[in-house]
Amino acid sequence: MKLSKTLLSAIVLGMTVQAVSSCHKEHLTAEQKKAEAEKKKTEQTTPQTTYPDSCPACGMG
Amino acid sequence: MPRLLPAVACNLDADILAACLPLLEESRVESIEWSFDALFNIKQVPDWFLELLSAFSKEGRLIGHGVFFSLFSARWHSQQEAWLRQLQETSSLFRFDHITEHFGFMTGKDFHRGAPLNIPYTASTLAIGRDRLQRIQEACHCPVGLENLAFSYSLEEVKKHGEFLDRLLEPVNGFIILDLHNLYCQLQNFDLDFEELISLYPLDKVREIHISGGSWEDSDIAPGKRVRRDTHDDSVPGDVFQLLENTIDRCPHLKYVVLEQMGSALRTDDSRAGFRSDFSRMEAVVHRFNDDRIPELVDMSFLPPLHDISHPPVEDEQLYRQQLELSEILETAASYTEAAQRLSRSSLANSEWRVERWQPHMLETAVNIARKWARGWARQGS
Repeated sequence: MKLSKTLLSAIVLGMTVQAVSSCHKEHLTAEQKKAEAEKKKTEQTTPQTTYPDSCPACGMG
Repeated sequence: MPRLLPAVACNLDADILAACLPLLEESRVESIEWSFDALFNIKQVPDWFLELLSAFSKEGRLIGHGVFFSLFSARWHSQQEAWLRQLQETSSLFRFDHITEHFGFMTGKDFHRGAPLNIPYTASTLAIGRDRLQRIQEACHCPVGLENLAFSYSLEEVKKHGEFLDRLLEPVNGFIILDLHNLYCQLQNFDLDFEELISLYPLDKVREIHISGGSWEDSDIAPGKRVRRDTHDDSVPGDVFQLLENTIDRCPHLKYVVLEQMGSALRTDDSRAGFRSDFSRMEAVVHRFNDDRIPELVDMSFLPPLHDISHPPVEDEQLYRQQLELSEILETAASYTEAAQRLSRSSLANSEWRVERWQPHMLETAVNIARKWARGWARQGS
């Protein structure tokens, strides 16, 4: 299914946010600063680990 | 009749999304399956993920896969009420083409700290399962389905599972997710022939197929015996692709084929490339099937009938106590031997649970799974 470029960009940005390294903070562009702010929000709202070593969605693991 | 759609199990997980992104960019993912109840410890879902769900929802291509309802808990729990409220709320935000749940009951006092375990196939469990499915359907107002089990204690259970699913789903006009890796586990763990096992499933009720990978675990009590487990932590075995080839055209009402893999198994470039390779192979099978498929005149919609669920939830106190007892034994026994001894002295002995027929290597595996889940979710929750 075709997704809009806007949505795909938003997903990429959302994922990039999680990969931004804190050691580069002093060199952030405006877009990266926005991403960094989003990262902080995501860190507060996303669990550090989503599952233990078996997957609950599989039934038994 | 709609064409068959290649799909991925896609949750709010950076590793899964990273693996899927190139496929999404190439417009190859035709549907996504979302475990809507796996966000229990997330305070706020990012807007971009909601937009992704909305995009598929608007096209009628979002399917929901529940994990934590605990369908066969013999006592009705406040967590189940909350789960239904959440489903109702989520269903008002997104249009699900269907909703599915897992077979079994969750062990543990906290639904997020236990393993889903099998149940005896009795009139009581049938009544409980039907009651719960009707409540799920009432909350989501769309077709409802159940997934076949990966794990069974005995060959007798394996052989009865398909028929029991069929009877469970009848009142809700429900459907089956045929998880082919789960089927593969049963074939391997009980030395069964594919034709023999597949003939025991009502394939006209299959609306969705899952494929995934798993792992082998050596048995300590049966040297040389390996148990196949549905751990979703590896690429799809060639044998499972072969099962897909052998099964796909026997399911006249099939609509979705879903690739599943855990995010924690998708942290390297190689594993993500492997995931996409599996998707490509699955997609090729689906496209070939679509090209050859002869449309049926009757479209099995699996639309829900109307139910009266004003009555109290069905419960069975004796069964509930047995479920607690089994959970306690599996989660705390230090070994298979201890678990077997405690079971033989428990209220499950000489009962409809038929614990005397449980295969030792499968009880050993159940102990391993229950202990791991209890530890895993305890860590998560703390």
